[in-house]
Amino acid sequence: MSRVPHGGTRPPPLETSGDFFDGETAFARPVNLRIDTDRRLLTGDGIDWPVDDIREVMDQAGGDLIVLRLKGDPVARLILRHGDIRPRLPNRRRSAPLVRRGRLFGWALAAVTSVALILFVLVPLMADQLAEYIPPSGEKALGEVTLTQIREALDDTGLSPVSFCTAPKGEQALRKIEARLTAQMATPVDLSVHVLNHEMVNAFALPGGQIVLFRGLIDEATTPEELAAVFAHEIGHVISRDPTRHALRSAGSIGVLGLIFGDFAGGAVVLLLAEQLIEAQYSQGAEGAADVFAHDLMIRAGLSPAALAVMFERFRALGGDAEGFIGHFLSHPGLGDRIAAARDAVPAGFRPRPLLAADEWRALQDICSDGTLY
Amino acid sequence: MSTTQDSMDIRYTGEKGPLFNLAFKTGLLTVVTLGIYRFWQKTRIRKYIWSSVDAGGDTFEYTGTGIEKLLGFLIAVVFLAIYIGIIQMVLFYAGLSVMVDPQRASPQEMIAQTIALYITFFAVLPFILYAVYRARRYKMARTRWRGIRFGMEKGAWGFVWRAMGYGFLAVITLGILTPLQTFRLEKYQADRSYYGSARFTQTGKWTELYPAMKHMLIGIGILVLSFALIGGGAVSENVGLIGFGGFAAFVGYVWVIIGGIHYGVQSFAYLTANKVLGDDIHFTAAPRTGFVIKTYIVGGLLVGLLASVAFGIVGTIAAAFIPLLQNGGGMIAFGIVMAVGYVVALVLTQALSLILITQPILAHYIEKLEIVNADGLNRIAQREAETGVDAEGFADALDIGGAI
Ligand SMILES: [Zn+2]
Repeated sequence: MSRVPHGGTRPPPLETSGDFFDGETAFARPVNLRIDTDRRLLTGDGIDWPVDDIREVMDQAGGDLIVLRLKGDPVARLILRHGDIRPRLPNRRRSAPLVRRGRLFGWALAAVTSVALILFVLVPLMADQLAEYIPPSGEKALGEVTLTQIREALDDTGLSPVSFCTAPKGEQALRKIEARLTAQMATPVDLSVHVLNHEMVNAFALPGGQIVLFRGLIDEATTPEELAAVFAHEIGHVISRDPTRHALRSAGSIGVLGLIFGDFAGGAVVLLLAEQLIEAQYSQGAEGAADVFAHDLMIRAGLSPAALAVMFERFRALGGDAEGFIGHFLSHPGLGDRIAAARDAVPAGFRPRPLLAADEWRALQDICSDGTLY
Repeated sequence: MSTTQDSMDIRYTGEKGPLFNLAFKTGLLTVVTLGIYRFWQKTRIRKYIWSSVDAGGDTFEYTGTGIEKLLGFLIAVVFLAIYIGIIQMVLFYAGLSVMVDPQRASPQEMIAQTIALYITFFAVLPFILYAVYRARRYKMARTRWRGIRFGMEKGAWGFVWRAMGYGFLAVITLGILTPLQTFRLEKYQADRSYYGSARFTQTGKWTELYPAMKHMLIGIGILVLSFALIGGGAVSENVGLIGFGGFAAFVGYVWVIIGGIHYGVQSFAYLTANKVLGDDIHFTAAPRTGFVIKTYIVGGLLVGLLASVAFGIVGTIAAAFIPLLQNGGGMIAFGIVMAVGYVVALVLTQALSLILITQPILAHYIEKLEIVNADGLNRIAQREAETGVDAEGFADALDIGGAI
């Protein structure tokens, strides 16, 4: 079809016909056209278009029609009925130059800047403010909704959310640890503690005083004191409302991101939210404060803060296997410092009192022998 | 003066194959670019569809660009992100939490949540309506036929408060005043529309839309009757009456849906037939409700069938990876295969519904359209280019505007 001219020989003259719209009136004017090879022009009655400046309008239906326009002229159109002119127009596929480039980049920059400002300044600021003002009932509901989402996200079977472990004897032992710790607190908090039947070595706090311990964590601990230490650390997060702040921050960020990426990422957003909450990454300051709170609470409850150090060392030994903890503990560079701080927190001559009897501890280790979905 | 009514047929020449290829290819590009290419995808699909509309031998041209859509979207995002953020903050201060666990919430909490959702909706509603007008205006401004631009005057905020007012009237009269809403809002938009130097005018009367609403009203009547039957059956403890009432409710429900489609098609026909361009250019429109419903059902079934085949293939391929799940590498490969397969099947489904539902219905509307007194078109001159910076950004950000 397309005859590529050989070097030196001149391409043969080309004559064609079509309709011309001048862009001033809606009148279709039939024209006869030819390519003037000397002047490199497509000429016809009232038309002198340089062939290098002719562009084809792309993505047109009906392959038999060819719509041509002139670079720099937004309205005039030539409609030809034969495609044999195509090889003669070297730049027909070149795109239109970007007009008002400065303004475009200005807005793009403004958009990126303001989204970044919203994500990293406005949302955290709002979240911190809201965490102070959110009513307890709202906070509780927020925690319950996110807990359900997390249980659904953790489930591998796709059938039902991960169940709660509720063997009665084990629960009794767990309440005993809870009572021992909360009895020493200055201001009472409304806690609700769950054990999730999942092998992840993890624990986290959710808005509204929800504390979730994983079966994997109980399996990994060798003494009830180690479990109590993690428990106390999570109570520290509850007291400083870290989970509420974090949940609000994630919700805000995800709302903004959902707006930007549209429907396309809609489903992924919920997963991302759950992921974020499991791998709750609080600031190093918040973790340090929760540690200090845990040390203090443990001592007052007659338990050694060194148990926290033992647990931290266990997580470090687990390394890559302890996925959930990568976010929670290992991601912070100061884990060694935190272990040292926990050991240093033990007062000289401190005599801890026992926490659970041997049979109680065994019952707690066996808490997942019975479960419920609610 | 010639008295012959010279009429111009409008044809739709788009085909399934090329449009499917275009939609599928650009759909994959959209996925690869994390959604950014969707503005170019929309532009290219519109270019194809517009150029398929052939009036008197000359095709339409869509001159919008992807980059201006992206820009408009960015502007809208900046605005909406801040606006919606502030609304949420105010709601939290008011103690209305949008997040409530429906299984455990008290009635008060449920009411508070409902109120909060309504406040959010009504706070965003003006922008949705604004976006509707802006999107139509943008499409007009970027449409050309015979080299002459279409256009629409500014007036989005005027549209917003009229749409809210007529919408309110339609709701409080249980839909009886829907024709008033349809007619007045279309007139508001049509009367601000141009083709080149010639202006469109919407003539006709809103009460003449009631015949188109006939089947909707019949459906509503059946529903009301069925509720009365169920209520009567419950009071007299007559199980047969309740069963019959339930059946009637089902019939009424289906009737309302089909009646709604009929109203959409026939009100379009009436409104188009009563538009005038310039002094004397008229239109005829005769779309058939039966064709539209048939396309929805047959096209919908075909899309569903082909989509389930596509997702089935993805599932089969994924199943082949299950034995590899024991090691970490196999897990990652499985995840990647699932994600890629799922996305490809999704893009395929979208492209299929474009060629099997959207395009045939559009083609039907266009083929049934005719321009009367087309001679007058030759006297129409060009109009000024319009340069709105936000394109249809609000419509994109709020995700309205449908398939094309
Ligand atoms: Zn922590």
